[in-house]
Amino acid sequence: MRRSESFEKEVGIVARVKLDITRRAFLKGGLATGGLAVMAPTASIGAVNGMLNAQDPWYREGAIETTYNVCDVCPWHCGIVVQTVNGVVRKIDGNPKDPKSRGMLCARGQGGVSFMYDPDRLQSPMIRTGERGSGQFREVTWEEALDYTAAALLDIKDKYGEESLAVFAHTSGDHWFADHFAQAWGTPNAAKPSSSLCLSPRDEAATLTYGSAVGGHEPVDWDGIQAMTLIGSHIGEDARNTVMQDFANAHARGAKVIVVDPRFSSVAAKADYWLPIKPGTDTALMLAWMNVLIAEDLYDKAYVAEWAEGFDDLAAHVAEFTPDWAAGITDLPAAQIRETAQVMGANLPRAAVIPGRHTVWYGNDSQRMRATYLVNTLLGAYGREGGMYFNKSAYLETYPHPPYTVAGSSGGCSAEPGEETAELPLGPTGKARADGVRESFMRGPTAMQELIDPMISGDPYPIKGLIAYGVNMLNSIPNPQKTIEALKALEFVVAIDVLPQEHIAWADVVLPEATYLERYEDLLTVSHRTPYIALREPAVDPLYDTKPGWWISRELGTRVGLDAFYKWENIEEYIDKRLISVGSNIEGLREEGGIITQNGKPYLEDFDGSSPFGTGSGKIQLYSQDLAEAGHEAMPVYEPVDEPPTGFFRLLYGRSPVHTFAKTQNTPVLHDIDPENEIWVNADAAEQLGVADGDYVMLENQDGARSGPVKVKATERIRRDAVYMVHGFGQNAPGLTNANGKGASDTKLQTRYKLDPISGGAGMRVNFVRLDKEGV
Amino acid sequence: MSQYAFLLDLGRCIGCQACVASCKVGNELGIGQQYIELIEKTHGEFPNLTGGWDNHRCYHCGDAACIAVCPTGSLFKEDGLTRLDRSTCSGCSYCTEACPYDIPVMWEGKSSKCDGCADTVKAGGSPWCVGTCPSMALEYGPREEIRAEAHRRADALRNRYPNAQVYGETQAGGLGMLVVMPDDPELLDIPIDPKTPFMAQAWQKIVQPASVGITIGAAVVAGAAAVVARRRHEEELDELEAAGVISGHGDEKEQEEDE
Ligand code: SF4
Ligand code: SF4
Ligand code: SF4
Ligand code: SF4
Repeated sequence: MRRSESFEKEVGIVARVKLDITRRAFLKGGLATGGLAVMAPTASIGAVNGMLNAQDPWYREGAIETTYNVCDVCPWHCGIVVQTVNGVVRKIDGNPKDPKSRGMLCARGQGGVSFMYDPDRLQSPMIRTGERGSGQFREVTWEEALDYTAAALLDIKDKYGEESLAVFAHTSGDHWFADHFAQAWGTPNAAKPSSSLCLSPRDEAATLTYGSAVGGHEPVDWDGIQAMTLIGSHIGEDARNTVMQDFANAHARGAKVIVVDPRFSSVAAKADYWLPIKPGTDTALMLAWMNVLIAEDLYDKAYVAEWAEGFDDLAAHVAEFTPDWAAGITDLPAAQIRETAQVMGANLPRAAVIPGRHTVWYGNDSQRMRATYLVNTLLGAYGREGGMYFNKSAYLETYPHPPYTVAGSSGGCSAEPGEETAELPLGPTGKARADGVRESFMRGPTAMQELIDPMISGDPYPIKGLIAYGVNMLNSIPNPQKTIEALKALEFVVAIDVLPQEHIAWADVVLPEATYLERYEDLLTVSHRTPYIALREPAVDPLYDTKPGWWISRELGTRVGLDAFYKWENIEEYIDKRLISVGSNIEGLREEGGIITQNGKPYLEDFDGSSPFGTGSGKIQLYSQDLAEAGHEAMPVYEPVDEPPTGFFRLLYGRSPVHTFAKTQNTPVLHDIDPENEIWVNADAAEQLGVADGDYVMLENQDGARSGPVKVKATERIRRDAVYMVHGFGQNAPGLTNANGKGASDTKLQTRYKLDPISGGAGMRVNFVRLDKEGV
Repeated sequence: MSQYAFLLDLGRCIGCQACVASCKVGNELGIGQQYIELIEKTHGEFPNLTGGWDNHRCYHCGDAACIAVCPTGSLFKEDGLTRLDRSTCSGCSYCTEACPYDIPVMWEGKSSKCDGCADTVKAGGSPWCVGTCPSMALEYGPREEIRAEAHRRADALRNRYPNAQVYGETQAGGLGMLVVMPDDPELLDIPIDPKTPFMAQAWQKIVQPASVGITIGAAVVAGAAAVVARRRHEEELDELEAAGVISGHGDEKEQEEDE
């Protein structure tokens, strides 16, 4: 049974008792009905007895108002139902109608109320009074802040041209800045961290292989999968709500789970096979898997013959990459490599290597992702039940506006698969992207980290202004020391954010944003198995003197002469107009439960014989002519990565299920559950170093960069050659009273990264640290 | 009266702590107050490892030691749940000593533990933790239904984990939380046969005969207070020693325990 069906049945019951606590059916029939009949009171809530504590619980303080929204605590964007009593948001639960949340939420989504009521929030527009970096500002009116910002932006345009403004944006309002404003204004230098600091290798490799990007929600057909392989994907720690649900069901159903990870992660502990691979050698493992699949005739011949080209090249290419060859490289037993390939082959096409999310590891990442897709092609997974389905974008017209001044290239996990054009789009003064695309890397969205150098050097041309929207720059872009240099060199920086993140101290103007619970948003159109449109409506008015991102974008746009791009009366009219194209409006969307779902085309047979693959030939590219022509390997090869120097460990990083990136460490409820990160060290290695579990140490990297004190977790759960920490801690932001100085920052220890020459991704697992007991 | 129970399926639980957060928000718990704790367990040596999560939360014991020792009636049974009324808790902290699972803690001077979301359920909701668990490791309903589902899940789990079992049918008088375990409870440091401390049993004998008058009740509270005071004293000594102000206290305590 699909959970969502049972949820739909539930909605009526929830409405009847007027406590809009989202509820799950327990079992089909039996308990759901029996149990609820007993539990559901017929009287109104106020009449229910049994309250024992002096204070009434929130749901008895007054009428519950329900609004629909889309969670913005992480970019997964689960549909939510927000419950408000007497003008105060009290609880957030999953929207049962939402294809992603299906009524459930992760810890971070639950923490949304606390994120909004965080007393450390930015409360008023501010203009800098002290030195850059001093964090000294005066509070000003919106009028003054916006006029000041607009004047500064126009000054940069006059002096250097539109292209000299960079726009960095993240979170669900990023469209208003990195796409709409930047494209209307005319800068090709708009970037999202979700591209080159996360997904670029995954999606460029997919486009080269399949002709389309994987897209935000990995289209794994979990319902029918029989053998799943996770390479560095930490389901349960990387807490994508839907993926946890789907994994739990597939695992309970008995699907085989193969986990490749140097660390015994939460999901490795649930695996049938755990392959504690030597970091950086994943491509060798996948080449050997392909070798076994082909040599032992365990691949989907009919599928490969019909949908792929370059098989003979691939077969010849992997012939020498035997499990014995890979064993020496990966530090895995050859028998285990062979057996796991056999498990996949035995279950094809209901088998897939899950593409995963954060894919910028070693700089060879597009080739590693290509290897993933080639394995999946041999398994016949793409477009097959139990393998990988095809995402489809939701249909919805845009609000009419004049043609953009420059085409967009920011990408990002919410973006629709972009067109890769031969000619780079040029801004109004004839300049293309400053990130070195086509020279230092082949293709893909604008690479955020590659814009840092031009800000300092002025090469290829000066980047002088920066709009930073919701992007925690100093805790996401590697080598933050250099980012600070860039922030110093810029003529003008405006930061739009909810919290006083570390980089805010370097801004000239700070514009405080209202959170997702306090604002309307442009409709969220989600590319999915069943594409859908989701509503975000405010549960309460903005706190303090904060404003929604769309409002800020519009006010700025209007002030710099872009009013033709913001011709709507108000945001409701904007949303209503877009919804006309699907025969609805805000009210209608509310009545639908906040979600309008459309039909998808998930499987090959839904295409009536035509090819769903957007490659030139309509075939999956096992051998990539595009790569060969650009001077890259046409098929993945294993390239060794640098070894840790003596006394150093490779620095690996990942996620806590309670935190998103470097965004939620200050959120009171989430901070309370998970206040600091730890450095995982193999127990034997720790003993040799004389450090014990629970000790505090400093970390020093190969370039002498040091962390603050961090707690040691001495554990069997990690290899001896690597250490691991959760990303996002160790922030140096005095305004974040909970998070400031807690734990260690992986970003500050990433003084190096390795550029992926194909996608422009910044491989960050190329740094090494040693543990230092001194100075704690 | 119906008996309700929770299902906790450790075959599914992946330690994501959504339950922890939903409980904190739905019940508006204070800073530092938490009813569920996820404790990582690991066995073996790299790379031959097994492990999982101990989802540490009230088991709603049928024979609840915490209730037996609670002198104020703040802990009590309802519909199979062990409920806690913090408004009448005197802060004696006796329950924290008596619980065989080490569940209740003192928070702001009063006992603090899962109350089963009894009020939320009466108001027409489901327990906050159950409603959100993305792994569907938590369920809530009539105990018999939950028991049957627990067995269905354990049976299915045996394909992968031959030792999968249902925990809680007999322990402590039958738990109000039936736990599907992939393996033996000891691997999660959960006792097969939870022992109610002797102290709690003795108390039951004194307090339970219902005719006990207010005087004895008061004496009992005073006795508890003395026990608690003694423990607090020990803690203070430990802290002083940790701070280097005094020395040798820990050794002394160990000797005491050895005796
Ligand atoms: S996965 Fe969690 S944080 Fe991300 S959108 Fe969903 S509920 Fe929110
Ligand atoms: S929410 Fe569910 S899966 Fe997550 S820790 Fe709690 S019980 Fe386990
Ligand atoms: S687990 Fe402890 S606190 Fe919970 S009912 Fe049993 S004795 Fe009481
Ligand atoms: S039942 Fe309620 S009080 Fe108990 S742990 Fe779950 S959410 Fe918290």
